[in-house]
Amino acid sequence: MRLETFSYLPELDALEVRAQVEWILARGMVVAIEHTERPDPYAHYWTLWRLPLFDVRDAETVLGAVEECRRAHPGSYVRLNGYDPVRQGQVSSFVVQRPGEGA
Amino acid sequence: MSIPLFFRAVIEKPRVMVDGGVSWNYPLDLFEEGSVASVAASIAGNVFGFKALRALRLEDLRFPVAYVKTFAGPPHGIQVERDRLGKYGRPFLGATLKPKLGLSAKNYGRACFELLRGGLDFTKDDENITSQPFMRWRDRFTFVMEAVRSAEGETGERKGHYLNVTAPDCEGMLERAEYAKELGAPIIMHDYLVGGLSAHQTLANWCRRNGVLLHVHRAMHAVLDRQKTHGVHFRVLAKWLRLAGGDHLHSGTVVGKLEGDRETTLGVVDLLREQFVPADLGRGLHFDQDWASLPGVLPVASGGIHVWHVPTLVSLFGDDCVLQFGGGSAGHPWGSLAGAHAIRVAVEACVQARNEGRDLAAEGNEVLRRTAAGSPELAAALDTWREISFDYEAVDTLDPVSA
Repeated sequence: MRLETFSYLPELDALEVRAQVEWILARGMVVAIEHTERPDPYAHYWTLWRLPLFDVRDAETVLGAVEECRRAHPGSYVRLNGYDPVRQGQVSSFVVQRPGEGA
Repeated sequence: MSIPLFFRAVIEKPRVMVDGGVSWNYPLDLFEEGSVASVAASIAGNVFGFKALRALRLEDLRFPVAYVKTFAGPPHGIQVERDRLGKYGRPFLGATLKPKLGLSAKNYGRACFELLRGGLDFTKDDENITSQPFMRWRDRFTFVMEAVRSAEGETGERKGHYLNVTAPDCEGMLERAEYAKELGAPIIMHDYLVGGLSAHQTLANWCRRNGVLLHVHRAMHAVLDRQKTHGVHFRVLAKWLRLAGGDHLHSGTVVGKLEGDRETTLGVVDLLREQFVPADLGRGLHFDQDWASLPGVLPVASGGIHVWHVPTLVSLFGDDCVLQFGGGSAGHPWGSLAGAHAIRVAVEACVQARNEGRDLAAEGNEVLRRTAAGSPELAAALDTWREISFDYEAVDTLDPVSA
């Protein structure tokens, strides 16, 4: 199982995830967090973790929300999405938690 | 003598432009609504054969919004393609199948399978592949779509193959498109210049109605657009395609084996992707072009690109493009699977580094070398392609403009 952007690199460490979050925020994107136990390439929607972080502009708060989602769903895949509020479309997405799968 | 209103604009005095070219206005009613064939027949028609002219080149044209609005354009556009396939924040990756001619359908499907499970998003029929005796289209479509499904199951990612539906006639083209849809193919392919502009618009409309993405090849473009003194510039052919409809269009690599000056190519890329493109003679753009919400087309960089080009390609084209490595993946010493894997690793590493604020133009090679320490596939690819470059001057270059 690969699951898209950055899935061919070694798992991003905390500092690397933070750098990507900062890039997303610097581009004015809105972050949302999603999770699922069973990713399916034909399923566009994973379960939304609370609400999208509409007004959040600091990486600390985003990373805190990611951590809460991880703790609540340790056996799930968790991904972080970035939405362009002007174009009203999704621009960014990468997986920030993979449950042990031996892959 | 009174001149009918209709013709007045045509016989206006032509304006001489800063680069020495001349420009005219045409009355809107000379062109049929929603017909690229109508535009081409008038603007790139008999005048190019006039005995009185030794040579003539159509460098650029501007479509007013009123005319743009008579076209539906790309069947889906960039955002819809990303959303349908769930691929964000990086260039799409593809490969043209090599060897391009002679494989049986089952073996051809095997090559697709290896490239897709290795990490590419798309594989592609070469333009020469239609339905020859060694591989009929229906057999190819069937085996290739099995490869697509298997690779999706293995990777958890959406995959596709540009099934070339270019056919001897429009009935054949649509029959092939229908079968691709029946198999669940997310994307098909057409060669818009050799297939013909009207056939192409028929297919683009079909794709919009049927929810199938449309990859567009441009065979024969260099016959029309390469000479500086005669013919039609590719930026014009690209504008025609955005009106006629296509979700991907081959538009040059800057760095690979095929013709394409850097600034000219970037100008074309803007014409394909952006909503409003301001005039910029430094990029060969003679006029402002307002596309009035017409969806964007993904530019495809394909032809002689390999893993060492990745940092430059990512910094030149950004995320909204398709990078295609045919020989650049199948030529890997360990085979297509490793070749595809190496490219995917290289692209993801460059995207990550760019997002971290690193300058790929200056540090790209270092990013690749550092990443290769953890990826034997990438390390082997870097060794293989080190010596290959295509260092030729472009023929169709921009002329310097004195401001």
